[in-house]
Amino acid sequence: MNCQEFWDYLPQRGHDITEAQTAHLAECATCAAQWAPHRALAAGLHSMGEEWRQTEAPSRVETGLMAAFRSQTSYRVQRSFARSWWTPVVAWASVAAATVALAVVLVRGYRPAPASPGTVAAPHRKVLPVAVTASVEDDDASALGEGFVRLPNAPRIEPNEDYNVVRVEVPGSAMIEAGISLGEDRAAETVLADVALAADGTPRAVRLVPDGGTY
Amino acid sequence: MPQYSSQSDDELLLRLRNGDEQAFTALYRRRQGAIYRFALHMSGSSAAAEDIVQEAFLALLREECGFDPKRGTLSGYLFGIARKLVLRNLERGRSNVPLEAETDEAAPRELAVIDDPLAGLTRHEAIEALRRAVQALPRRYREVVVLCDLEEMDYADAAVVLGCPIGTVRSRMHRARALLLEKLHQDRKPRLAVDAWKPVRYAI
Repeated sequence: MNCQEFWDYLPQRGHDITEAQTAHLAECATCAAQWAPHRALAAGLHSMGEEWRQTEAPSRVETGLMAAFRSQTSYRVQRSFARSWWTPVVAWASVAAATVALAVVLVRGYRPAPASPGTVAAPHRKVLPVAVTASVEDDDASALGEGFVRLPNAPRIEPNEDYNVVRVEVPGSAMIEAGISLGEDRAAETVLADVALAADGTPRAVRLVPDGGTY
Repeated sequence: MPQYSSQSDDELLLRLRNGDEQAFTALYRRRQGAIYRFALHMSGSSAAAEDIVQEAFLALLREECGFDPKRGTLSGYLFGIARKLVLRNLERGRSNVPLEAETDEAAPRELAVIDDPLAGLTRHEAIEALRRAVQALPRRYREVVVLCDLEEMDYADAAVVLGCPIGTVRSRMHRARALLLEKLHQDRKPRLAVDAWKPVRYAI
């Protein structure tokens, strides 16, 4: 090994040289003299690295990141849930309700008349729009009315926040998934449910409509 | 969180993408120290280093974070983001606060046990002199020293983080060490700084 090779092939850990390099140092006084401070420097950097290894980011960084993670995860889950079976149901219910309202207005010649809920046939599902607009006094989903259960990861309906309730037919399995106790034998059936929609159209809570169809 | 300690970074990333908070915590705790130290050495400011750590890990939460396991390790990806943030920070000129002026939180802790107080003092002084010398290095040399010497990253991984050939990492390292020696000699305490250690052999 010559001097050039010695310096070109120094291992990453500068103080951990090979036997061939050690042999070269024994033969070459110039390299040996130059190598001594390099070796000490490498050892010093190693010690410095070890000492600094105990230094970590303050705990407040982790706290902030965890809060960001929870917020992001909640948003994602809610969005994916909103994209699932609720989305087409709500869309078709809105279209059906608008169609009925338009038809009533046209047939009755723009004369105001008391609203009465009726059965509307949506293309894929039967929908009973109960166009209720209310103002919530309590921030719990139960304040919406008897039997309402907040959907997983859905934000609470804030006090004085407007919401709409739409009655739909949904698979029993979807109700079970939303956390409503329903016999497993009814998972394959379609059941009537009231869905509370926030002003932006996202579903917030749901309740099972009893077999009698009244609440 | 013991079941997470055996999982790879990529596995933890997959889990956290599915909303597993503990996976995110495990990944953060595994990698934050090195990222923080890198940012601290490079920026010289603990406040900037905190911001950089936070930004780097927040990037993981974005759906389009751009991490590709085929192109490198997750650790390398985090260092890459941290490096970009450091550069941005240096360009803004925010990092003009020397480490000495930072709070104690940013300073490395003393060694737990020192049998010989004099030897301990010498070691501490020597490390401090070295730290100042590293801090005074130009940015391109400082980052190779921090990554390869202080964080013991392989040259190959450092090349990925720095986006340059491995030969460039080697040559920068060689130059960086020469500059460090020069700086230590200029400080008129070369023996204190450089000769305070006996060489250590790794058992690799």
